[in-house]
Amino acid sequence: MATAKRDIDPVEAKKQILDYCRRKGALAAGVADLAAIERIAPPGHRPTDIMPRVKSVIALGVGGQTQGAWTVPAKAMAYFGSTETRAYKIAYGLSFFIEGKYGIRSIYCPPDMDPDAGPRVPLQSLKLHAELAGIGARSLAGDILLHPDYGYMYFASVFTELELEPDKPLERNPCPAPSCVNMYRSIGRTPCMKFCPVQCLDGEIDEDGNQKVMRYDMAACAEMSQQYETVPSAIANAIAAETTQDREDALFDPDNKMLWYKMSVGSGGLLAQCFECMRACPIATKAPLADPILRYEAARKKAG
Amino acid sequence: MARGLTRQQIGVTEAMIQAFGETIFNLSHNHQIRTGDPIRKLQFDAIEAQRADAGLTDAQIAERIGLTRNQVLYIRTVLERRRFRTGHYVRLLELGGGKRFRAERYVPHLDHFKYSEQALALRAAMSYAPERARLYVERGWWRDDTLSKWLERHATATPDAPAIRHGDTVISYGELKRKVGNLAGALAALGVAKGEVVSIQLPNVPEFLIAYLAIASLGAVMSTIHMPYRAAEIETLLAHAKSRAVICLSAAKDYPAAEVMLALKSKLPLLDHVIALGAPVEGTLSLGELIAHDREPEEIAEPPVASDPFLLLFTSGTTSAPKAVPLSYHNMLSNARLGAPEHRVTAADRILSAAPFSHLYGLYSFHVAMAVGAETLVLPVFTPPDLAQTIERGRPTALWTAPAHVAACLGTGLFDRHDLSSLKLAIVSGSACPPELARGFAAKAKNCAVTQLWGMTETQGALYTRPGDPLEVSATSAGRPSPGTEVRVADLDDRPLAAGVEGELQVRGCLLFPGYLDNPAANAASFTADGWFRSGDLAVQDEAGNVRITGRIKDVINRGGVKYNPLDVELLLDKHPKVAQAAIVPIPDSVLGEKACAFVVPKPGAAPTLRELCDYLSEHAIAKIKLPERLEIIAEMPMTPTRKIIKGRLKPSSA
Repeated sequence: MATAKRDIDPVEAKKQILDYCRRKGALAAGVADLAAIERIAPPGHRPTDIMPRVKSVIALGVGGQTQGAWTVPAKAMAYFGSTETRAYKIAYGLSFFIEGKYGIRSIYCPPDMDPDAGPRVPLQSLKLHAELAGIGARSLAGDILLHPDYGYMYFASVFTELELEPDKPLERNPCPAPSCVNMYRSIGRTPCMKFCPVQCLDGEIDEDGNQKVMRYDMAACAEMSQQYETVPSAIANAIAAETTQDREDALFDPDNKMLWYKMSVGSGGLLAQCFECMRACPIATKAPLADPILRYEAARKKAG
Repeated sequence: MARGLTRQQIGVTEAMIQAFGETIFNLSHNHQIRTGDPIRKLQFDAIEAQRADAGLTDAQIAERIGLTRNQVLYIRTVLERRRFRTGHYVRLLELGGGKRFRAERYVPHLDHFKYSEQALALRAAMSYAPERARLYVERGWWRDDTLSKWLERHATATPDAPAIRHGDTVISYGELKRKVGNLAGALAALGVAKGEVVSIQLPNVPEFLIAYLAIASLGAVMSTIHMPYRAAEIETLLAHAKSRAVICLSAAKDYPAAEVMLALKSKLPLLDHVIALGAPVEGTLSLGELIAHDREPEEIAEPPVASDPFLLLFTSGTTSAPKAVPLSYHNMLSNARLGAPEHRVTAADRILSAAPFSHLYGLYSFHVAMAVGAETLVLPVFTPPDLAQTIERGRPTALWTAPAHVAACLGTGLFDRHDLSSLKLAIVSGSACPPELARGFAAKAKNCAVTQLWGMTETQGALYTRPGDPLEVSATSAGRPSPGTEVRVADLDDRPLAAGVEGELQVRGCLLFPGYLDNPAANAASFTADGWFRSGDLAVQDEAGNVRITGRIKDVINRGGVKYNPLDVELLLDKHPKVAQAAIVPIPDSVLGEKACAFVVPKPGAAPTLRELCDYLSEHAIAKIKLPERLEIIAEMPMTPTRKIIKGRLKPSSA
């Protein structure tokens, strides 16, 4: 395979790549500054750790939820998380698109955990890529990225040996929204902090209405959302049970039976996150282009 | 094991986990703090400065505290496992769809309501055969009825409708709900929880019913103590019921009830509260104040459901081996709901019970009233004049009464002097009703359907005649089974007998209690192998299905191998001009095994002799073998609160 084509116009290539992303359903896409990522990411989690000749990191985001999704019961909404696979599909396609069109190596950045570091440590930070690519900024809700127009998105990344001009991070962080600042001034908490079911969010807002400190108890968040930890706990409890009744309860109570169900059918539902912070977030739910219904209205108007 | 290596290979000990675990956990990504917005702003110095706050990798932690990377990885994952609290997912189940998490309202899983040991023991007694339970549910007999739901329904639909009337005081359903809510809140604040027992020793006053509904609304269980009971009996009942609180009068005539209860409190570790109605008594809470003190309605953690036990009543054994009858809403309220139309009781009715609410028969009148939203007229304590006056002044449309009540009023001419015209229904129950008594009553209450009912604490209303039945049916029988109830007359081997043959009355159905609490011997003796309850009553069923109660098995006298039921002899003796009341019991005999002894309360100034009585009986064609062979003259017959003779207490003076 050719490693480079001298006649590639990087500006045109970037345009075609970002167009591809949007055509395939991404709301936003951008190119992150590789040097910055390499400097910020810890050793072992830098793009060059999995693709030594990488020149560019392309980040893309797809829409998080429909407006209807925000209204459903939490237990139903927990199944809506597979939206991220849409982002992965686009990234996967994009890596083929780059290799096929420009003859330059590309990879779909594995979005999952680093098997060398246990299940809570990702191979790469998609969040860092997206933030540096200018398609999201860290929020008070546990650093979940938010976009002023697209709200809350799922991200995917593509690494390529094609050199592209990097974008800049967002000029302005949409978090906290003015209404959240008002609430914070009133009760010392923002909606995401107040309504987190495990109270894992905390933080401060400065006098100018900007984030001052973000505190995130990821361990507490994981107790809600990382249910894989419950699996060995249930088995350990069953082994330690002193009575048959306790053993049966440890293995077969309704919550644990849901785990066995999820494992047996490979369902991703009820894993990863609970969405309650985002349900309470005005940016996630009300950003102008985060709302598919608003997008529909805008398109209708544009069409006359 | 980490990365395929054992603890020994990694060089980790429990001491290391203890020493470095917390530090590693906190330096890792498990706790993250970000100051400012340094990544978006590309402030590399700030990023570096707060790396440890943002969370370090295992390698970075290892370097920082002087462990190997594998040691850090191992210790971190061990800590993540050990600290992980399961069960948080349930927090989500109530959220969304407009509801958000509120930390101040959330009750952590481990702090969730927990049944007390005594509550669980009571629930364990609610054991029904699966095929019976399925049948009762499928037929719609067992539904989701609870007293709270019924009260809520009436308080919402007809808040101004009268619920309880006492003299000129009327409590509407709306007002009743408020009072019940006040007392329920107070009881909850005192620590009374679902499944726990609160005992009541009160006359038929409105506060009894308010307390009953309040206890029920908490999902707690009411246990009644009959008014005549005193310390020795009460202690046994409170101990067996494991009561958390007792509600009583401050004092009754010659009986310092509250002081008695306070003294028992020191003996009964589970009894925490004495709540008294009447004058203040130190050490007790005032029932009146608890009812009157308005409070915000409290959310009940575990509201009652129909399968819950809600009544614990005692049938006998007040000094030893009590027979405690746990009853569920399924049992009692299905029987009341299905019974109301059979009795032709509607929301327009005003029901008066001459029987005490401490007895299930009295409560049955209230259950029926609550089933339809009728009014309950209370008569605190039965006396013949009070009953007659209450009927005249309170104008009830339905009367729950016992043969002894009727006999007393008829005998004293009270029913001649008072207006009974409001009565459309009079249910007579509690003991066998002599036919002439029913006829006599019907003659006085001209527009009233006089019906008979047979039931027990274990069943509530199992048999009754219906208002449309001919008087002779109601005068001579206890009628037919209530809806959802089966009865049979069986021999000593539990084989069903043909119509017209006397045997033991056995009962099965949705109304039947599940078994006595903590009394396996009584349970073994009381149920047949196929789940029929042995009532202990003798009965004959006619071809039309009407059942005539003919006596008690225990009362049968076995005279030299010849067994006979003395009921007909007793009924004849009751009519003797010198006899006010009579009862015949067996006494031991060295030759015959048993022979009959007549206990007689003479009419004032009379002194009947055994000879006189035997001659009289012989004149009325009583067989010689059934003639009493001994006579005991007594001043007063021992009676139950529902005016049944307690034959067990009739002991010959020299026996």
